[in-house]
Order: sequence, then C-alpha cells, then structure tokens
Amino acid sequence: MAGVLSGVYNTLIRSNGVFLSTIFAGAFATEILFDTGSNAIWNRINKGRQWKDIKHRYMDAGEDDE
Amino acid sequence: MSVSRISTAVARSSPRSLRAAAPLAVSTQQQRSMADASTSHAGFTSPFHRGTGNARDTTVMPNWGKYKTGKETSNKVFQYFMVGTMGGLSALGAKNTVQDFLVNMSASADVLAQAKVEVDLATIPEGKNVIIKWRGKPVFIRHRTADEIKEAEDTKWESLRDPQPDTERVQKPEWLIMVGVCTHLGCVPIGEAGDFGGWFCPCHGSHYDISGRIRKGPAPLNLEIPAYDFPEEGALVIG
Amino acid sequence: MFARTSLRTARAFANAKTGATRTVVSQQRNASSQSSAESAPTWKNTATLSASTILAIGSCTWYYTQFGRTAHAMTMQEEGLHATPYPWEHEKFLKTYDHAALRRGFQVYREVCASCHSLKRIPWRTLVGTMMTVDEAKALAEENEYDTEPNNEGEIEKRPGKLSDYIPSPYKNDEAARAANNGALPPDLSLMVKARHGGCNYIFSLLTGYPEEPPAGAVVQSGLNFNPYFPGTGIAMARVLYDGLVDYEDGTPATTSQMAKDVVEFLNWSAEPEMDDRKKMGWKVMAIGSVLFALSVWIKRYKWSVVKTRKLQYNPPALTGLPNKMNPRQARR
Repeated sequence: MAGVLSGVYNTLIRSNGVFLSTIFAGAFATEILFDTGSNAIWNRINKGRQWKDIKHRYMDAGEDDE
Repeated sequence: MSVSRISTAVARSSPRSLRAAAPLAVSTQQQRSMADASTSHAGFTSPFHRGTGNARDTTVMPNWGKYKTGKETSNKVFQYFMVGTMGGLSALGAKNTVQDFLVNMSASADVLAQAKVEVDLATIPEGKNVIIKWRGKPVFIRHRTADEIKEAEDTKWESLRDPQPDTERVQKPEWLIMVGVCTHLGCVPIGEAGDFGGWFCPCHGSHYDISGRIRKGPAPLNLEIPAYDFPEEGALVIG
Repeated sequence: MFARTSLRTARAFANAKTGATRTVVSQQRNASSQSSAESAPTWKNTATLSASTILAIGSCTWYYTQFGRTAHAMTMQEEGLHATPYPWEHEKFLKTYDHAALRRGFQVYREVCASCHSLKRIPWRTLVGTMMTVDEAKALAEENEYDTEPNNEGEIEKRPGKLSDYIPSPYKNDEAARAANNGALPPDLSLMVKARHGGCNYIFSLLTGYPEEPPAGAVVQSGLNFNPYFPGTGIAMARVLYDGLVDYEDGTPATTSQMAKDVVEFLNWSAEPEMDDRKKMGWKVMAIGSVLFALSVWIKRYKWSVVKTRKLQYNPPALTGLPNKMNPRQARR
C-alpha cells in the first residue's frame, strides 16, 4: 500500500509539470466518462419519450438518416 | 483604587496562576550552550533565562511530536489528489464556458438553414441561363451545350489574365455554376452577351467567356465559383 | 511619576494575587444593586414598554393595511376561475417532452387551431428531429406558398415553402384576423404557455372547460361564449375540441382531453423548445457543481487547518529578584 502510494507520488505528483499534465488528462477523461454516463442515465429516465426513440416508426427503411 | 485597575491586575496575574496550575509539555532535550555565551554579558541579566536552577527554559521549541502523523506519503497523495481534482473540474468548467461563448458567436440555426439553396436542374433546358439568389447574391447556372463545352475546354487558358482551365471551374462540364458578381466593381453581368459568347458587364465593359473567365475589360479575376454539390441526379445544392 | 506608577501597579499585582476574585465579586454586586436602585418605580417602565410595543405593532398593522395587501382591481369572476394544477409529466425536473405527444399535438394544431391562430415564431426546420423526419417536414412546407425575392422585372412571385420558412399565419395581418373574428384577435400561440398565468394548466382548463350551457345567472354577450377559466368568462373562441375530431396516426383515442393534453404539450414545446437540453445540462451542472462545492469546502478546511490548529506557548520570565525597569511588563506601562 505504502509502496503504491509513494510510487504514485513520485511518478505523478513530484514534478509539477507531470502533475499538471495528469490533471488536464484526467479532466479530459472525466469529461468523456461523465458525458457518456450521464447521457446514458438521462436516456434511461426518458426512455420512449425522445425523438430518437420513436423516429424509427416514421423513417422509411433504407432512407438516409439525416 | 478603581475597578479598571483591579481588573487589569487580575488579567495580568492569570498567566502566572495558569502556569502554576497546568504544567506544560516542554522538551528539555535541546542543547543551548552556544546561545548562552552570546547573551550572558556582564551587567545585563536577560529575563529570558535558559533553564537554570529549577526554572524552565523559556525559549526552547516545545515537542510537537504528538501532533505529527505517521503516514506522510498517503496524506500527501490524498491532499494532492483533492487539490488536483478540484483544479481539473474547474478547468473542465472553464473550458466549457469558453466553448459555449465561442459556439454562441458562430452562425445561428436560422442563418445556417438559409445558407444552402436547392435547385431542381430538370427545369433548366440546355443552352439556358438561370439566376437564383443565394445569401443575397445572384448565382448563374448555365446548362452548357456540347459546343460551348468544347469551346471552353479548347481555349488556350495559359495566356489568360487569370489562367484557369475549364476543368477547374466545373464539376460536371454541362453545368457551370458561378457567383454572378463582376470581379471589377461588383455589378451583375448580362448573360449570353459580350465578345466571347459568355457574360458582359454593362458597368465598365468586362467580357467573360463561356467558362466565366475574364477575357477583356477592367476586371482582374474570373467569376467566382461557389461551393456546390450534386447530391443526386438532377438536383443541385449550393452552399 | 514612573516609579510611583510602577509601585502602585506592583501593589495592585500583589493584592490581586490574593484578593482579586473577591474584590471583583464585591464590585459586581455593588454595580447590580446600583442599577436596581435607579429603576425603582417599575410600573412606569412597564407602561413605557407596553405603550411602545403597542405603537410599533399598531403602526406595522396600519402600514400593512394601507400598502401591504394585494390590490384586487377585478372581482373573482373577472379574474377567471383558477386553473386546476395537473401533474404534467414533461414539467418534472428530469423529464423531456413526450415527442410522440408533440407530434400528435402538432397534428391537432394544424387541423384545428391553425385555422385561426398563427404560430409565427416556429420555422418548419425546428420540427425536424423533434417530431418529424426531414421528408415529412419538407412535404408540409411545400404545401404552402411564400413570396420570392424580386425577380429581374421586380415582380414578387410565389414559390413553394422551404424548411427555413416559418409556419404561415392564417390571416395576412392582425386587422384581417380581427375582421374575420368579430373584432377579437386570435393571439399568436408561439409563446402562449409562457404568456398566460397558469401556463399549461390554464390552456388545458380553457380548452376542456366549456360547459354545456352557461350557468344560471351568467350574462353572456352575443358573439361570446361562456368559459369560467377565461378572465371575464366571455371568450370569443367557441369550444373546438370534440371527441374524435382528429385521427391520430399512432392509434391514440382522440378524446377531448387527450387532444387538449397533446396540443398543450406541443404549445409548451413551441414556447420552450430548448427545455430538453436545458434540463439535461441543468442536472449535469448540478452534479459537477456539488462535487466542486464539496471539494472546495475540503480544501478551505485543509488550507486553514494550519491556522486553526496553531498553538502558542509562552513561558513568562520569572519576575522575582529583577529590578523594575528590567521587567518588561512594568516597563510597558
């Protein structure tokens, strides 16, 4: 445990540049993960209510999906 | 003796009584031999004594050992993690704020909806000009005949003022699509007129050929080609 | 001077060590007895207090009755019956519009409302991706004619509608609309849910609230219809929604209340087309914001912990055996 933590400290935090890069990379990953997750939750709450859930009824098969 | 005098006296006396009541944890391990030499001048007795006799040393650092943590690394990692997370989330918020402002400055939906014009090409017979309005400007659509295509392609374009081959100016040779604004001073040229069988600008006498290239007159450049596309046979989308 | 002061202080100090507590206590007792002696006639105090309280309460009451109450310029009848609150699904915090209902509501608008009411602020393109496919919206737009820009001869011609055009109004202008409706202007419905007190509830109540015949004693002017939810109860619009008026393509039974519900949801969309995105962004921002808030509280405590847990230790030097002028306490006097 302590070994892992000191490893983390020495590789990611010790140098300010690396620490900053980690923060920004983490922010980027967080955004993607959060957006994916929250959109999935949103679509589950509103299942069947949104246009994308009902448009297959009105789209002719084989038409381009614009 | 006034009340204030007495209360001052009480306040003054309290540290002494406190000191007497509660013994403080003071480290006696520290060695101060060097410092003593510098302060013990003859004729001056420092009130801040060095722990001679049974009085305590008044200047040694107390021992803060019981406040010290035993897990420095994990604490540091946790603290940097919290600070870094807040920094990262704030950066995310700042980025999205800036992005929203930039998106807000770009073209709105109603402008974008009008930015494209669809034209039905089946209604334009061969050898005819059609002028349509696109973003407030006239656009010439010419359904060229085989003779006109041949004439446009055979012209020695290398020696022209704005040298450009016909193949660069059309996607399909039978359809010539140009912005109908003279490159000289912005008049609208007249179709099927001029010395070269193309367009003629009545304002200052610029002659364009059947590919819309400047051949004679003051205009410096060929007529401009807008962005366009043939999404399917017989349909044209400008923009 | 200085010496005397120090002497006095030293005496006081010596005194304080032994008798300070007692002295202070006796002093306090003295002070309290003094104040009670001053306020001997208690009934005067009571009277003054009571009088000022009554004055304060009375002036507040007077001010509130004069200026604090809501002024009712109209009677209850003129205000109209307050709309019943209905549990609208799309008004919940995390719910989008039911887009199938929007599609049905637009059908009701097109077949029923559009003969009198305009929807000026809605272009055809906004229907795409919310309740229609591109081809359906294009076909609907092309059913209508719009003015072109002036051609070479300066004439304005007619052309079929495009997606970028706005839904056409039933009347050329407000005057034509008034002339066709006994002088009553059918309002534009684009922002009607936002524009009326009660919003969705009001429009739904109005559409479904027409009684079979006006209640006894109600005065209805000629050309007007009785509706208790309309301010003044006399409304120029007659009841329009009857069971089975439209044929829903998805097979939903077209009852009066179903049609009213669908058209109200559609009108809410036309007033707030951004609602779906707004709610989605809203709870995302709340989620990220609460995490940020918790983090910032932790970091505030972290940064302040140095200050908050600071301990000062002071060992005062011994005073005995020192000349007075060397005593820092006395020298400061």
